[in-house]
Amino acid sequence: MGRKESILLYSIEINSLSKSYGDFIAVDGIDLKVEKGKIFGFLGPNGAGKTTTMKMLTTLIPPSGGKMNILGIDGIKSPLEIRKKIGVVLQQPSYEPTLSVEKSLEKYGMMWNVEKKIRKNRVEELLISFDLADIRKKKNDDLSIGQRRRVQVAREFMHDMELLFLDEPTVGLDPSARRGLLDFIKGKVKDGLTIFFTTHILEEAEYLCDDIAIINKGKIIAVDTPADLKNKFGREKTIKIHVSEQKDMSSLLSGIPDCTVEHDSGTVLTVRSSQSEQVLQEILKILASNHVPVEDLSVVPTSLEEIFLSVVKNSNA
Amino acid sequence: MHEIIRLVNRNLTISLNMGFVIWQIIFPLIYIFVAGFAYTALIHQVPFGNKTLDYPAFIATGMIGFNIMNSTLISGIIIWNDRRHGMFEQILVGPFTRAQYILSNVYTIGIIGLVSAAMITAVGYPLFFKQVEFNVLTIPLVVFASITGSILFGSIASIISTRLKSSEGFNVVINTVFLFFAFVSTAFYPAQGAPPILSTAFYFNPLTYLVDVVRAGIFGYFNGLVATEMTVLGIGATVLFLVATKLLSKLEL
Repeated sequence: MGRKESILLYSIEINSLSKSYGDFIAVDGIDLKVEKGKIFGFLGPNGAGKTTTMKMLTTLIPPSGGKMNILGIDGIKSPLEIRKKIGVVLQQPSYEPTLSVEKSLEKYGMMWNVEKKIRKNRVEELLISFDLADIRKKKNDDLSIGQRRRVQVAREFMHDMELLFLDEPTVGLDPSARRGLLDFIKGKVKDGLTIFFTTHILEEAEYLCDDIAIINKGKIIAVDTPADLKNKFGREKTIKIHVSEQKDMSSLLSGIPDCTVEHDSGTVLTVRSSQSEQVLQEILKILASNHVPVEDLSVVPTSLEEIFLSVVKNSNA
Repeated sequence: MHEIIRLVNRNLTISLNMGFVIWQIIFPLIYIFVAGFAYTALIHQVPFGNKTLDYPAFIATGMIGFNIMNSTLISGIIIWNDRRHGMFEQILVGPFTRAQYILSNVYTIGIIGLVSAAMITAVGYPLFFKQVEFNVLTIPLVVFASITGSILFGSIASIISTRLKSSEGFNVVINTVFLFFAFVSTAFYPAQGAPPILSTAFYFNPLTYLVDVVRAGIFGYFNGLVATEMTVLGIGATVLFLVATKLLSKLEL
């Protein structure tokens, strides 16, 4: 692929990117490509290297080695050029305590050199989109953590950008504000924005992201779409059965191959299997032959959270 | 609009709330009009160069330097507040360089220092107008003292901001520094007549140099001592500014 073509396709391209602090390797030679106009989820346990990677990509700290190309610009040679084209919502709260909500938005737009008339319109739009209109005159210092977070995220949309980095943006938000923010982000992506998103909430990543990378101990251990990650790592499904009579179901089902009993309370049984359809048929056959009436049953595909836990556990092993 | 102007605009907006402005005027006014007249019974007149000043005129001009120090120590803590509230990192992931951030703070401090000096000159003027001897040569002394004094005290606040991590520690250090600078200086009383240890300590305090140069400018008195004090002030401001810049540019994120 030619260089020009590559620039058009990817908002972020990093090769062997690393960061060390003395003997400690925080990020260990990672490679990533983030397609333009997509939402890229970056997942990992605490201390895995997510925030350090984010800080390097946003040019806040220089890498110890490797290459990074952000929006077609060399991240090591021209960090300022990159910062002019990106937006960043950092994990830590950031606010000016003495300013009101609307003044915060207005001043942030001014700092980004947004025209006064455009600033004014954007402030009004964002106050509504982020449900901040009722508290527009309140000072940041007097806001709750969730309100402050909403202002912090809203503020970033005061300026134009091609790529937005969001480091756990929904921390402190209630479920309705969280969903509102995710939907707002989805809308912005439709307009062509690329988003690099870190979160601990796997449901969010599943809801929002086109592609996901999982990082652990400074290394990327999986990259794919949520669906393909599930196909690769989540062939197992969970079968949950409710019966009306107390029975030792674990013993009854012990002969079924590829059937791992996870929980047995006597009336509720949870098993996992990578061949869920055959196993379910076998279970129903055995229960019927033992005259055990089934009250309810469900087959649940493996969640992204289970995949995440399993992938991280395997990488730790 | 240039990046530095945008940052200065932002710095002024977050620093200049109504409380700050009122405090900046009320605080020195209390000293000028309450202490100035109350202490007149104790200190009638103060020799200054070839003049003898009334105590209210002496303290009113001292308050110009005092207010420059007071306001720039406060505005110098913009960096502290930015670090504490996450804005330092947020600004540095924006379209700004560290150098621009540092310079914007210097300009903000300079502007606040000059405005403070102007405000106190205006309100204190009725007390010292009889003895004022402005001329083309002495007015630049006041401007020089205001700018170098602002940079010097702003740099001190910036250095403290970069070195300390806890709010409690920061407040203790700033208050201690403020008390020493304010009261171990010639802002409130002349060095002549003070116990020798105290009058020597006065000259380890940059506020003494600042108020002496301001008074020299206002009362039209210039001699070798004033020139030396200007040199000390200039060198002090330059060195402290360089140290503050170095520490800020090395501040880990």
